[in-house]
Amino acid sequence: MITKRKGHLWLYAVLTVAVVAVIAPFVWMVLGSFKSEGELRQVPPTWLPESASLDNYRQLFSRLDFTTYFTNSIIVAVVVVAGNLLFCSMLGYALALLEFPGKRPLFAVVMATLMIPGVVTFVPLFVLVANAGLINSLPGLILPFLVTPFGVFLMRQFFLGLPRDLLDAGRVDGAGELRIFAQIFLPLAGPALATLGILTFLGSWNNFLWPLVVAQTEDHYTLPVALALYSVGQNSTQYGLLLAGSTVVLAPVLLVFLIFQRRFIEGIATTGIK
Amino acid sequence: MKRTSAIVVVTLTTTALALSSCGRDSGAATAATQGKTVSDGKATGSITVWAMGAEGEKLPELAKEFEAANPGVKVNVTAIPWDAAHDKFTTAITANQTPDVAMVGTTWMGEFAGLGALDATPPAIKKDAYFPGAWGTTEVGGTSYGVPWYVETRLVYYRTDLAEKAGITSPPTDWAGLKSMAKAMQDKAGAKWGIGLQAGGTGSWQSVMPFAWSNGAELTKDGGKAYNFNTPEMLEAVKYYQSYFTDGISDKAAPATPTTEPDFVSGKVPMFISGPWEMSAVEKVGGAGFKDKYGVMKMPVKKTSSSFVGGSDLAVFKNTKNRDSAWKFVEWLSKPDVQVKWYKLSTDLPSVKSAWDDPALQQDKKLAEFGKQLETAKAPPSFPTWEQVITSFDTEMEKVTKTGADPAAALKTVQSQAESIGTGQ
Repeated sequence: MITKRKGHLWLYAVLTVAVVAVIAPFVWMVLGSFKSEGELRQVPPTWLPESASLDNYRQLFSRLDFTTYFTNSIIVAVVVVAGNLLFCSMLGYALALLEFPGKRPLFAVVMATLMIPGVVTFVPLFVLVANAGLINSLPGLILPFLVTPFGVFLMRQFFLGLPRDLLDAGRVDGAGELRIFAQIFLPLAGPALATLGILTFLGSWNNFLWPLVVAQTEDHYTLPVALALYSVGQNSTQYGLLLAGSTVVLAPVLLVFLIFQRRFIEGIATTGIK
Repeated sequence: MKRTSAIVVVTLTTTALALSSCGRDSGAATAATQGKTVSDGKATGSITVWAMGAEGEKLPELAKEFEAANPGVKVNVTAIPWDAAHDKFTTAITANQTPDVAMVGTTWMGEFAGLGALDATPPAIKKDAYFPGAWGTTEVGGTSYGVPWYVETRLVYYRTDLAEKAGITSPPTDWAGLKSMAKAMQDKAGAKWGIGLQAGGTGSWQSVMPFAWSNGAELTKDGGKAYNFNTPEMLEAVKYYQSYFTDGISDKAAPATPTTEPDFVSGKVPMFISGPWEMSAVEKVGGAGFKDKYGVMKMPVKKTSSSFVGGSDLAVFKNTKNRDSAWKFVEWLSKPDVQVKWYKLSTDLPSVKSAWDDPALQQDKKLAEFGKQLETAKAPPSFPTWEQVITSFDTEMEKVTKTGADPAAALKTVQSQAESIGTGQ
């Protein structure tokens, strides 16, 4: 009994250290966003702002057309998430449960694309999008990410874990293929869909390089691109602006995570076991 | 993660371009020193302009005046974050999605011109109007591909009040004087370190080269066709630079991102070498009245006084559909009075010499000092491989300053690496 409690104590001590190590930079970021540039560069650094002010935020919001960037980011993220949920689950389902010619090679192709790092295809992809005339447009920001090999793989693995009998039962009862997918299997895939949704949202929300390169006028910028505009200069960095900007980008992500926290953890646990 | 991917993208872009450019005519080497002429008359049509950071934010205001003077023209400025601007440019060049005019970092000129992306400067633009070091950044393989837009150079910052305490009444002018001043700051004015010098690492060449150039070093040889690191002048400068660390005047263990401003204000490190942006930075940290507690001085003389000239150039892309108007906009931005207006808007220092006669720039003594240094400041050669080669220099300098490695061996290593990489032209 005593040894067990001691073990717990150790566990909590280690966990506390880990949590502090993970959270401290974020706390410092949020606190730092209220400090003046002079205070941020002080040695030794301060934890709490000496005289908290909203100057950094005021500057950020007055210098940037925030509504536009926020709207762009949201549109892109929502469409990309929706596309991934739909297409990845469809393809994943087909690869897991349906029999059709060329299934194995198709899966091999998906796996192969999964293994090629995105940076390798970055420039060819850009040339492709440019030739399609989609530069500087929302479709140009969305289309390349509408379906990802990782999502397909994730969904396939999940569907493989579901009993095949459900499929046969559905067929015996005379349900159409689409109905079996949409009404029997999709509802069961909740945890996997939640995981895919959150990961895709995060990826899209934080994406920097692609929107930077594709958007050629400021009205097509997304949040991360816009926030990088004025904080990092050629020779100097305005840390106050940078921290305030990072806080603003982080807030919606935090919100999404808090709302879906339980599903997220469930999803990771389930997909991990299977 | 982001950085790594960015680097890979750049490498790939460059490779892709290098491969695809085999079929293109190698215009850079054979073209005349200046490009085609630009038509007379007013600018028309629309011009897209890319500019980074604060420049991109403030340029639209200035561009309105150009539009007013040229009623048929529309200037569309897009602001680009500095963070990954280089990737954006190289990708855009690959896919032929370049703007008409762009602000281009001085050290990128060689690369972009080497890719055949830039239009040669028309003859109406006269090189004598600009600071010679800054104009040099536009020249690639003997051809100019743009104009300097704004400039910056590096000076020695020092605390005037602490210098007085250390018994120094007039700023030193030579190498020995600078070193004894830094030493006196430590001995008599309570400074922990006499002068803050970058202990190697990324960008440290910008602190070392001002000394080397002041000693008459040249970074190219064979008529500007090859790198030239291993020279007696360079060696002497690197030895001098190293002596600050071996004599304990500068901090070997200085962090990569030094706390320059707070250390300067507290007097812990009362001297450092940097560019004009540090003026507002130290004054922000120092608060009211700090303005009168420090001064700037030109690089100390060995054979001459030289420094590093940086800043940004303006270039017109070959792909432009509105070439004449694009160049007219560039020419207009180079007018002395427009340059002064731009300084007032952005605090960017004018690249056009005559703009410095304006009282706005003459009244501020510190600024005027930068103006004087710009006359002799130099830029590195605009070889496409410069960024790659200089990384090896920065690494070797780290060994020299931190572990006391032999400067002669270090320069030999840099030279042999530079030769194996080649100039890329």
